[in-house]
Amino acid sequence: MNQRRSTQYYPMDYWLLFAAILLAGIGLIMVFSSSGMMAERFYHDKYLFFKKQAMFSVVGIAAMIFCARVNRKFFYDLTYVWMFVAIMLLGLCLVIGTTAGGARRWIHMGPFSLQPLEFAKPALVLYLAYFFARKQEIMQVKTFSVGFIPPFAATGVMSLLLLMQPDFGGAMLLAILLMFMCLAGGTRIIYLLGAALAGGWGGWLLIASSPYRLKRWTAFLDPFATAQTTGYQLVQSLYAFGSGRFFGAGLGAGKQKLLFLPEAHNDFIMAVVGEELGFLGLSLVLLLMGFLFLRAFRVAFLQEDLMDRLTAFGMTIVLALGACMNLAVVLGTVPPKGVPMPFISYGGSSLIVSFICVGILLNLSRNRT
Amino acid sequence: MTKRVQRSRGGAPARPKTDLGKLKLLLVGLIFAAIWVALWGRAAYVQLYLGPELKKGAEKQSLATGFELGERGRIYDRNGSILATSVESKSVYVSPIKVDNAAQTAQILAQILDVPKKSVEHDLASKKGFVWIKRQIGDREAQALEAEKLPGVFLTNEYRRMFPNHHSAGQVLGFVGVDGLGLEGMEKRFETRMAGRQAKYVVQRDATGRRLYLDDQGREMDIRGADVKLTLDTVIQDAAEQSLAEAVTKYNGRSGMAIVVKVDTGEILALAHFPFLNPNAASLSRPSARRFRAALDMFEPGSIMKPFVFAAALEQKVIDQSKIFDCENGKWVLRGKTIRDTHPYRWLSANRILRYSSNIGTAKIGLALGAQPYYSALRKLGFGERSGLDIPSESAGLLRQPKEWGEFDLATISFGQGIGVTGLQMARAYMVLANKGVPKPLKLVLDPAPTPQPPANRVFSEQTVETVLSMMREVVEEDGTGKLARIPGVLGAGKTGTAQKAAATGKGYGEGNVASFVGLYPGDKPEYLIMVIVDEPSPVAFGGIVCAPAVRDIAIKTLSYYNRLPEAKASTQPEPSESSMQAKATRAPSATAGANVPDLTGLPVRRALEVLGKRGIVPEIKGSGMVISRQKPLPGEAWPEAKSTSKDGGFVLWLQEGTK
Repeated sequence: MNQRRSTQYYPMDYWLLFAAILLAGIGLIMVFSSSGMMAERFYHDKYLFFKKQAMFSVVGIAAMIFCARVNRKFFYDLTYVWMFVAIMLLGLCLVIGTTAGGARRWIHMGPFSLQPLEFAKPALVLYLAYFFARKQEIMQVKTFSVGFIPPFAATGVMSLLLLMQPDFGGAMLLAILLMFMCLAGGTRIIYLLGAALAGGWGGWLLIASSPYRLKRWTAFLDPFATAQTTGYQLVQSLYAFGSGRFFGAGLGAGKQKLLFLPEAHNDFIMAVVGEELGFLGLSLVLLLMGFLFLRAFRVAFLQEDLMDRLTAFGMTIVLALGACMNLAVVLGTVPPKGVPMPFISYGGSSLIVSFICVGILLNLSRNRT
Repeated sequence: MTKRVQRSRGGAPARPKTDLGKLKLLLVGLIFAAIWVALWGRAAYVQLYLGPELKKGAEKQSLATGFELGERGRIYDRNGSILATSVESKSVYVSPIKVDNAAQTAQILAQILDVPKKSVEHDLASKKGFVWIKRQIGDREAQALEAEKLPGVFLTNEYRRMFPNHHSAGQVLGFVGVDGLGLEGMEKRFETRMAGRQAKYVVQRDATGRRLYLDDQGREMDIRGADVKLTLDTVIQDAAEQSLAEAVTKYNGRSGMAIVVKVDTGEILALAHFPFLNPNAASLSRPSARRFRAALDMFEPGSIMKPFVFAAALEQKVIDQSKIFDCENGKWVLRGKTIRDTHPYRWLSANRILRYSSNIGTAKIGLALGAQPYYSALRKLGFGERSGLDIPSESAGLLRQPKEWGEFDLATISFGQGIGVTGLQMARAYMVLANKGVPKPLKLVLDPAPTPQPPANRVFSEQTVETVLSMMREVVEEDGTGKLARIPGVLGAGKTGTAQKAAATGKGYGEGNVASFVGLYPGDKPEYLIMVIVDEPSPVAFGGIVCAPAVRDIAIKTLSYYNRLPEAKASTQPEPSESSMQAKATRAPSATAGANVPDLTGLPVRRALEVLGKRGIVPEIKGSGMVISRQKPLPGEAWPEAKSTSKDGGFVLWLQEGTK
């Protein structure tokens, strides 16, 4: 460390920190609002999910502080370890995972469950950043064998494991993450386009091959046609948004969450935000999130070292991509996928990983080498 | 940092590649910004443009699947035994607009449900959205109907009221009609509390498919009615009912009532009426049997009124215990009307007047006291107003203003004629004597807790009450009219009553009598107040003969149940009831509470309860009848936990009809 004369130190990006904690606070309130009655009725504890989410927040904030403070070598040097652990968890999920809604996405650990996908995201970012930063040095990125195959193979393994759960949305998310990382990392655009086309074609084959996925696609295109079956969730989500109008029904006064909207505190929590806080409240939440992404992006943009920059960029993409996909799903613009809203949705894995992403960004914001 | 990092940083500012990298980053950032703004626009489109239509859709669906009636609250006794509960049964209704083929539907409904086809056709032609076809149908009918899958015909859950203890406390509990509305007694009194709410429901769309019940505003609601817990104790209630039934039948009475009150709290432990009412089949009963007589029926109490005139006179220092009055040899003409005593007496001291229940003596005390002081004492005792138990259509009795009283009226009201009271009023008045001169409100309900009342003002001094109690002890313990209420080993205090009933013609008095007895046990520090009243007993009409033994009977059972009976004295006590006598002859030696469980089979229930009551055990009773046919634990086994009541692991007795 003593040789790092040129490193400039900055205070960490408090705006980013502030936005993250504020969003988690809003999330906590919305989790309570959307789960309270349900928890009271079915678990006889109104605060069940609220308490758990509050606990996850504490753990998440601790993890964020750790990530912000620790020497970044801790992430970089252990890249392969993170990759290995993430792939092991994804594999383990297929073996001992809990089946819920026809998919094996969770590993139960005592009273809590872990969603390996969430942890796979930052691990993959670290690996891709490390890969592109190192290969850049020897100008190999532009070649097919070095610049294309390893990152695609690593992402491919993870995606394959996700597809076996099956979690098409998760696989999709990792694939898009890879695309953006490649783009920023310097892979030839032509390869990316080719891969995107191939991926799109493969994706279509996958969709068409499984009636379950095809049905979910058609549900998205006209949810009201299948309002009682496949389109149900989306219709209820749209009803919730629609019921909110501009000013909303008022915090806690939404009806959809209790009666009709399954997973209201989970993937569809933004529908509850829309119903209870209205377009006004939703806009403020989106504005705050946009601000968080902006600050995160700024951290990435200001990094001069490629490894740092790609890492910061990747973490930003993980958050922004999750948010975009979630919002797109609940608003019915893309086919339904189980993607949580970062910081807002109930769920320990998602919340803690979101905090870890911000923690790493905060770490990088402190100095630009 | 590592060397790698430093190296890369070294050439950074000058390398165009880095700038290209930043441009790419910027590009990605812009893509995301565009997506984010697009999604925001989509939200605006959905919420603001599509909003009204979506909202309409959302509201429409919340008026959803069907409706259901919640279960009516239960009634429990003080120990948590169920007195009234509800069992689910199916009811059929139609939604005429949803019926496809009215003629065929009517045909099938009439056939399965055994209802006139005409009336079904009429119902199906109705413009209403909802018409009951038949309520509380059997399981088989429900199944057959379900199999038909008729459009517009629905089955819904309703509840039928069940009273597991049959006639026990029937008039107090009351009953419900077919639409589940409480019609009498506690069922009526707590209708709004216990009634199950009707609610629309939706089925939760998660894997569990649970139902959520909504009120008109779409808020979730609990449709189950709230429970009610009474102060009654089923064991004491049963004991009171049996003794009352024996007294009424033995002396050919028209009806009777019995009340047991726990003095320290004012809680009514038993409130029995005979003839019994089985609320399970209330519609089959005679209306007269449904009456909650203790609250509704006013009667002229007769001599059980006397202690109050004595107390008032003592309080006013008009008399003392030994003051003597001329009892006119049993016949006294006052203002042209004759007052008679059952037995002729001449000069009697006040305590003997009460002991022998002389009307003439009491009339003279009343006259000495005067109308206004007596009236004011009666009002303070609670006469002329409702008992405070809020029984539906409760009577306030009849107490005229003292200015309307003539001298003769004052004389007769002193010995309880010319005044109308209810059984509950009488019990409440006696509570003042039992509670050292301070009124103690009666309680029939534990939950919901009655609204606390301000502490009542003292009516009589402790000294006065002690003197009256001592006179009442003489009634029982000396050669008084109530000696049949005597319980060896336990001091008793009491008062007999043998009132004349007003003639049916409305003028004067007829042949009928109301026999009564009020007992306080122990007679020096009363813990239990027990009152038995029998209407029109014959051929004997004296309260001391008709009612006193019943009060004694109930007192023994109550005291033994609460372990307040001296053991040896109780078991040597002669049993007047025939069935007990028989059981005693055959079984009694083994049926006392020893180290192990005795053989109770063949014993009358009452006797078995007595035996178990001494151990503080309340057995669970299964089946119906009067005699124990089977028991758990078996004879010779160890006693179960004394604490266990009628729930699991306790004592179970199976009954059978007949004597053996």
